[in-house]
Amino acid sequence: MLLEARGLAIAYGDARAVWDATLAVDAGEVVAVIGPNGAGKSTLVNTIAGLHRPLAGALSFDGLDLGAVAPHRVCRHGIALVPEGRRLFARMSVEENLDMGCYRHEARRARAATLERVYGLFPILRARRRQAAGSLSGGQQQMVAIGRALMARPRLLLLDEPSLGLAPAVVDHMFEIIRAIHAEGVTILLVEQNVVRALEIADRAYVLEEGRVVAEGPPAVLREQTRIQEAYLGLRDGGGPS
Amino acid sequence: MPSLTLLGQAVVSGLLAGGLYGLLALGLSLSWGLLRLVNLSHFALALLGAYLTYQLGHVAHLAPWTAAALIVPVFFVVGMALHAVFARFRVTEFTSLLVTFGLAVILESVIQWFWTADYRRYETPWASASTRVGPLFVPTLELLACLTAATLALATWAWLRFTYVGKALRAAAEDPAMAGAFGVNHRAHAFVLSGISAAYAGVAGAFIALISTLAPAQIWVWLGTVFAVAIIGGLGHPVGALLAGFLIGVSESVTMAVAAPAWAPLVSFSILIALLVLRPERV
Amino acid sequence: MRPALGLVAAGLALATLPLAGLPAFYESFLYLVFHWVALATSWSLLSGYAGYFSFGHGAFFGAGMYTTATLTAGLGVPFLAALPVAAAVATLLSAGIGAVVFRIRRLRGELFGLLTLAITFVLATIVLNTRLDGGPGVYLSNVPLPRLVASPTGTFYLLALGLAVLTLGAAYAITRSRLGLGLFAIHDDEDVAEVEGVPTFAYKLAAFALSAGIAGIAGGIHAMYVSYVTVPDTFSITVPLYVVLMSVLGGSRHWLGPAVGAAIITASLYAFTGGQQAVIGRAVVAFALILVILLLPEGVVPAVLRRRRPRARAEPAAPARPATEARDAPGVTLECHDVWKAFGGIQALRGVSLHVAPGEIVGLVGPNGSGKTTLINVISGHYAADRGRIALGPVSLTGRAAHAIAGLGVSRTYQIPRPFAHFTALDNVALAATFGAARCAPAEARAEARQWLAFTGLGRRATALPHELNLHERKFLELARALAGRPRVLLLDEVLSGLNPGEITSAVELIRQIRARGVAILFVEHLMRAVLDLSDRVVVLNEGEVIATGTPSEAMRAARVVEVYLGRAHVA
Repeated sequence: MLLEARGLAIAYGDARAVWDATLAVDAGEVVAVIGPNGAGKSTLVNTIAGLHRPLAGALSFDGLDLGAVAPHRVCRHGIALVPEGRRLFARMSVEENLDMGCYRHEARRARAATLERVYGLFPILRARRRQAAGSLSGGQQQMVAIGRALMARPRLLLLDEPSLGLAPAVVDHMFEIIRAIHAEGVTILLVEQNVVRALEIADRAYVLEEGRVVAEGPPAVLREQTRIQEAYLGLRDGGGPS
Repeated sequence: MPSLTLLGQAVVSGLLAGGLYGLLALGLSLSWGLLRLVNLSHFALALLGAYLTYQLGHVAHLAPWTAAALIVPVFFVVGMALHAVFARFRVTEFTSLLVTFGLAVILESVIQWFWTADYRRYETPWASASTRVGPLFVPTLELLACLTAATLALATWAWLRFTYVGKALRAAAEDPAMAGAFGVNHRAHAFVLSGISAAYAGVAGAFIALISTLAPAQIWVWLGTVFAVAIIGGLGHPVGALLAGFLIGVSESVTMAVAAPAWAPLVSFSILIALLVLRPERV
Repeated sequence: MRPALGLVAAGLALATLPLAGLPAFYESFLYLVFHWVALATSWSLLSGYAGYFSFGHGAFFGAGMYTTATLTAGLGVPFLAALPVAAAVATLLSAGIGAVVFRIRRLRGELFGLLTLAITFVLATIVLNTRLDGGPGVYLSNVPLPRLVASPTGTFYLLALGLAVLTLGAAYAITRSRLGLGLFAIHDDEDVAEVEGVPTFAYKLAAFALSAGIAGIAGGIHAMYVSYVTVPDTFSITVPLYVVLMSVLGGSRHWLGPAVGAAIITASLYAFTGGQQAVIGRAVVAFALILVILLLPEGVVPAVLRRRRPRARAEPAAPARPATEARDAPGVTLECHDVWKAFGGIQALRGVSLHVAPGEIVGLVGPNGSGKTTLINVISGHYAADRGRIALGPVSLTGRAAHAIAGLGVSRTYQIPRPFAHFTALDNVALAATFGAARCAPAEARAEARQWLAFTGLGRRATALPHELNLHERKFLELARALAGRPRVLLLDEVLSGLNPGEITSAVELIRQIRARGVAILFVEHLMRAVLDLSDRVVVLNEGEVIATGTPSEAMRAARVVEVYLGRAHVA
């Protein structure tokens, strides 16, 4: 297993966000974490990226205990985050944002080649590369966020709600890009509210509800379960659209 | 209305004075804009640098540039040490203002203890040197200070714009956690930036020693104007600080020429007040 | 009332000192002590209590000095008659500044400090260049000094003592009044204070005006004391520096703190007299300031009081019964009609209409960023709607300030609890009882607050500070605070997030009890289980639009809602 989390508990101060999460991602997989708002999905990926420390549980990446790694060193091991809400450096230009992605030394050496790859995926960014990232449209900002993470040449890409706030056509494009990135051999952990979309692309998925993993399995199995609808819509009888 | 020559001379001396304002504002603007620490002791440090230059020149007969070459690295270390205190006590933007206020008073006392409150003047052969451009006089030392300010501002700008450390500092100023997620060690960079900021105070000090008459209370004379310059230039923008220095310098010296010298502070502070009231989100 | 009596007694005792034939040297020294006591205490009225650190106290002090100098030396007005004018000029100046500056949300903290410093320099330049001074300074040596006692130093001593006692009395009274409570709340969280019903603008203005007025009188007396007034001395950095140091050292949130700080600093500066010693003295004081800020950030007086009186006093838990039903106001319907709100280019609300009847719980749900919290912020008046109408029964809320809306009976909670950090749990709730629709007198408010703490199960935590509470307790404190305002409409923003299942069950039960009291509840929540459990009706928002309303199971089964929640299939 590339990434393994066992019995993770995470809190902001004393506000618990994740109670008990166990999940694993194998190299080459696309794994989705789905669940309603407030289920703790973002907290989980942010913790994997080193933004928070877990309260309890074990977190390992390629055999390495991530709990013992300083936050700014996590990325060295090949983990890159596309955070929820994009969190670009809004006053810096597009290309400077991409440069921050290849800040670590190994990635810096490959800058020229990676930059070509990112501009290949998102041609519009090449045209906008001198523009302040904060002045772009939502979809373009999402491209910068993904491009910034790719610049780090990650083995594991953490994607947190890449479709949030985007128009349907842009969402389609974003998922095509994710497929393309995966096709290049990057392992992906995808957090997504859009269950239908997430299950289309994922090899496996975990359902997180109120900070706990309540279901897991391949999409075909999860689609049959009522657990997802219960979690999202609160409907006990699992009724679908009337 | 004064003559055109007089106005021209006012503009020239304004630009030159403005260069020094910009030089002083540079360090303040960097630590405030990029580290969110307001360093009131920056002026006191600059004046200490001026007195040390004076002392090394007057007593030890060291050339001002030799003195500066000694003082600037020492100040770099002092800046890092100051930052160690800020980091240790997790000083916020607001408490940094109070702590450095206290530090400024201590430095003022130290200066007064060693050099008394009497005026000191560092007499050098270059003090009266000047170049004549048409009908206008350009004093050499002021010009040199101005060129140094411009060089440092542009170099700092390029450093922030083109190097990885510079970009990391700007990124961390916007979102330290995200910068950290991409490998930026902001704590280490903050030390370097604090050192640089203090080193700039040393450079400014050397020029203050050469150009003006020294008195301990000068710490407070510069304070208001340079704050105005740093804010008007946009915090964390080295070139902005320089240009704002020119703007304030020229508007002050033109005010002096047109009205009375004593009216000059009104201009810079009115600009500052207007900016704070009308565009507070810029700060 | 003991401190007030003590103050009067001390004032009277000290007033007899000149009669006892105190040497002039001591009278001068004590004059300076009381001069700084008055200045530092007056500074803390706004800057200490409300947290608006001003570096412009010198401007008001200077306004007082020059008003007195101009009136007495220039126009022959008697000294004592000039003092009220000095106060008036300083008050008007501060009110003018405050009327502009206090409307700008960004001008808090260090920007307010810088602004007031800049104003001092502007004022100094104007005085220096006009007939008020003109450069050489103004002599007051020919102005007759009314003799309160035989010696001039004794007279100055008595004037400063009187001003200091009056200022301390005012400070004491304010810290125990609605005004003081409101100012302390502004210090901790101004936006929340406004939403809890504190008229923040008016309170800041009042504190600023009073603070400046006292500084003006102190300046007026000091002009006469020094008898020669110059711009560099008057508007120097000394006054703002010292008042800040004294207040921070003594404790700027305590009525007596600045006075203690003033006494310590004046005495230590006096201990080092003469050239070089004075220099050391200043450095020592500055070093002490740094140490205090880093190690005792709240100041000497609160630190000493805390040591003498450990905070562990267990309050007797009030019986867990709801507060008196009789005083609940009649129920009223909250109605939003076609409400629009945009931030920059982002349209957060697009024509939202909904109503909540008394005794009804309406669940407001929707994905992240759908506008739920924005709607709460608009209803509570924190943001003004761009378009549309919000009404409480027949009363329109549109265009009203947040504190006025709170006064009409609208309370809210915050998703991340925002208690006033320096208030105990009890005081947090008492503030809402004082300023909300309940309008209790301060004393009555504490009794009321105790009942609401008991109602939410926090009876035993009354004396705890918010940081000593866990999340569950802070969330319930948030509820108790909202309830203490005696709301007719309650806006709950994700009260359940972060709680464990047992805590959720007790919170849900609590919300049911609140509904039973006839309160109209708008319930924003992600936890669908609880929404379906509690809500009479559900309104679903998406991208600022209402996409479904109805009973919980109807609304959540609507095709559009399922699509928004679970996503739409790839069209290609």
